[in-house]
Amino acid sequence: MASLSTDVLVIGGGATGAGVAWDAALRGYDVVLADRFDLAEGTSGRFHGLLHSGGRYAVKDPNAAKECIHENRILRSVAADCIEDIGGFFVTTPWDDPAYADKFMAGCHATGVDCEEIDPAQALREEPRLNPDVSRVFRVPDANIDVWKTVWAMARGAQERGARILPYHAVVAIHRDGDVVTGARLRGHATGEEIEVEARVTVNASGAWAGQVAEMAGIEGVRVLPGRGIMIAMNHRLVNTCINRCQMPTDGDIIVPMRTVCIIGTTDEHTEDPDDHHVPPAEVDQMLDDGEKLVPGFREARALRVWTGVRPLFEDAKASDTQTRDVTRAHALLDHADRDGVQGFVTITGGKLTTFRLMAEDTMTAVSRHLGDERPCLTKTEPLPGSADGATYMLGERLERKEQNLADQQLICECELVPRWKLEEAIRRRATTNLDDIRRLLRLAMGPCQGGFCIYRAAGILHGLDGLSAEQADESLLGFLKERWKGTWPILYGDQLRQARLDDWIFQGVLDVEHLPARQPEAVAT
Amino acid sequence: MRSELHYDAVVVGAGTAGLVAGARLAEGGARVCVVAKGIGSTHLAPGTIDVLGYAPDRVASPSGVMPEFISAHPDHPYASLGVDAVAEAARWLQSRVESGPLPGYRYLGDLDRNYLLPTAVGALRPSAVVPETMAAGDSADLERVCIVGTRMLRDFHAALCASNLNRLGVPARAVEAEIEVDRADQSSLGLARRFDDPGWRAAFAGRLALKLQADERVGLPAVLGVRDPHGAWSDLEHRLGRRVFEIPTLPPSVPGMRLYEILRAALRAAGGRLVLGAEVVSSERDGSRVTSIATHSAGHDSRYAARWFVLASGGFNSGAIELDSHWATHDRVLGLPLRGLPAEGEPRFVPDYLAEQPMSRVGIAVDAELRAEGAENVLVAGAALPGAVPWREGSGEGIALASGSRAAQVVLSRSGATAEAAA
Repeated sequence: MASLSTDVLVIGGGATGAGVAWDAALRGYDVVLADRFDLAEGTSGRFHGLLHSGGRYAVKDPNAAKECIHENRILRSVAADCIEDIGGFFVTTPWDDPAYADKFMAGCHATGVDCEEIDPAQALREEPRLNPDVSRVFRVPDANIDVWKTVWAMARGAQERGARILPYHAVVAIHRDGDVVTGARLRGHATGEEIEVEARVTVNASGAWAGQVAEMAGIEGVRVLPGRGIMIAMNHRLVNTCINRCQMPTDGDIIVPMRTVCIIGTTDEHTEDPDDHHVPPAEVDQMLDDGEKLVPGFREARALRVWTGVRPLFEDAKASDTQTRDVTRAHALLDHADRDGVQGFVTITGGKLTTFRLMAEDTMTAVSRHLGDERPCLTKTEPLPGSADGATYMLGERLERKEQNLADQQLICECELVPRWKLEEAIRRRATTNLDDIRRLLRLAMGPCQGGFCIYRAAGILHGLDGLSAEQADESLLGFLKERWKGTWPILYGDQLRQARLDDWIFQGVLDVEHLPARQPEAVAT
Repeated sequence: MRSELHYDAVVVGAGTAGLVAGARLAEGGARVCVVAKGIGSTHLAPGTIDVLGYAPDRVASPSGVMPEFISAHPDHPYASLGVDAVAEAARWLQSRVESGPLPGYRYLGDLDRNYLLPTAVGALRPSAVVPETMAAGDSADLERVCIVGTRMLRDFHAALCASNLNRLGVPARAVEAEIEVDRADQSSLGLARRFDDPGWRAAFAGRLALKLQADERVGLPAVLGVRDPHGAWSDLEHRLGRRVFEIPTLPPSVPGMRLYEILRAALRAAGGRLVLGAEVVSSERDGSRVTSIATHSAGHDSRYAARWFVLASGGFNSGAIELDSHWATHDRVLGLPLRGLPAEGEPRFVPDYLAEQPMSRVGIAVDAELRAEGAENVLVAGAALPGAVPWREGSGEGIALASGSRAAQVVLSRSGATAEAAA
């Protein structure tokens, strides 16, 4: 069995865990990061892409609003390449309490969230598809953030400083020596090989799964209340500004433009199981109806994909089991030395994507004390790899670059402008055979055709590279199709059903993937 | 601007079913116009005539399996059409290919035996009647195969194809062809135009010959010419001294474009008219008869009056049948009743991707003569028919050919159009 020794073991490769690894590496500690699946495959990869201005919390949770605007400003500078400065509107629709708007503005002023009321006519000039019946509009500095790009930039930056990043490594045991957590045993997904990690401090950054991981360390009562929400990606940017309902936080109150699509979110239902990803049909209809309120004609657009994410809401004494939205969105740092008398183990959970850096900073400040060697946090000022020039992402910039040398570049995914060299580089760098991993890394297959054309191409290219067998390519292709179907069948209507039927013809008809040799040998009728 | 036109029969849809119905109506003497929103399934499908490939096990002989298949699936279009009609329609198509605009090009095979042809991913797909340019790919043949790919065609991956063929027991290897073109990226159509050029082809064959071994056939992506595929294919066989076959790529499909050209030529040769870019926007009725349809195209609305209408407008794939965001299903062309819908409250789709989906068999409700329910002068053909899952069964072209032919036959036998046209 392989073994590693490190200062800090981070369990959980979402934005928080990757942020902890990046923070630790910048402070000069040795760090190992493990996730049971791909990085940012859990809650971090299952949100709507919003980098909050804080406006959403300005009335209800002023502290959260202050944290958001503070982090929003820092991330625009250190993670610029991952962020698109779309800006946001809070709009009062005919369905919203008109009295909330003044409270909203006062809340923004009190919490330091930049907020300017603009003429609805001006808002309609900027966003012609916005509901023309909005009565008030406020401009706030919302942005979108590409979480996979962010998480992998942090992971790469940490790797460059010696960190070991281990996606697809599940924790099978957490070791305790009396009252001290001493590390964990990991099992690799692909090979089943186990690795012993000896760590001076273990950080439980597993979000909605934090209670399960804490129990593995013999710690009871870390209660995380999973709140499940659905999101639907629509086939293009119906709006170019983030549109929020100006009301108390509720279901279906936001549309976030993200790369080539826009995303409506979300619902909030208590669930017992953080791995619960079912999509209730009533919630789909609710999202489409809510979309109509913000953008009339929303239902005519193609719904590309639906997914659910599970918020890790740390329970406090006042929360009832079913009202998860009322549980605090603030993060919870549990130092188990103080809480349970267990040394060398820290849990970070709760919070929200926008504040992941702050969560990581708080965590590493505590860890740093445990290590007896306190070093300052650098993540406020040190840019992530790729963000050194401080320029935020622009939607048109990749197309502009591509058009300069289109003839030299074979486009594998036309929707998301992924060229062949980029795909080959990603496959080599990740050493992955999983097309779903590639999807998160390059946004391959995230556009309107949802992989109808690029996934066969990508499987062929995967196989063409050394060491990847036809079996693996086939399994990856079929696995991708099955995974994609999970996110599309509940929302198949209109032109996206046409697209799905074209894909059926391509994959089941032209290619006949159902009868690839990976499956059972079949009988022959005469 | 608005015009009104009068025909014996108007066909809606320019896929295989619509073009076959139109051509056969015209051949029977009817004044016919095919109107369509755009080109149909031909440019997406492999260009083979799939009659019955899976039932659900792989079918070796469509004519052998069809009687049992029909009794097991009484709502399937084949139950109304019958095996003889499919065979007759396939023979008609073969003759039109031979007399068509692509010199020397032929379709081989019949309903007694399915070819088992490699797909671009290296699975083996059953098909009954196939372009001559594909026939040598049949896996009943055990000769070794060399799959030839080129990096610049992203829609065909030779190495993956060959590896999977090996796993299925077909001895295969892959080589990379050197192709001189001016950009990194070529569509299958772009390459097919190169293969129409004898000089370019000769240079290609000269370079490829150096990489081939004795006793192996050559499988190439289906790009061997769009105007002269027989010339390109037989020239390559001659120059390489071995059998050569095409493997369908991702869409656009070059063999499908050839089929479209052949059917369009048959329609026009018999005096039929084809109007593309014309979406049906409304229709007029007189009781249970449809009297006219109106189409909209750029800057020009037209009304087509006819005694008969053939609805070959496709299913969900073409958009002619729609499931809207309130989960209601409509025929968007004529508003005809549908059949095969899951019952109220039942799931429309199920979570298992490779399971049969409950919405798969939806189509326009018809009687045994393919007459639409509630519209006595409307006949339905092709993917608009209910009861089939053609992409899983491998039955799309068989249904399209036989139902297009049947629709034409019903119109001709009922309308006296022939006599009128002659007069």
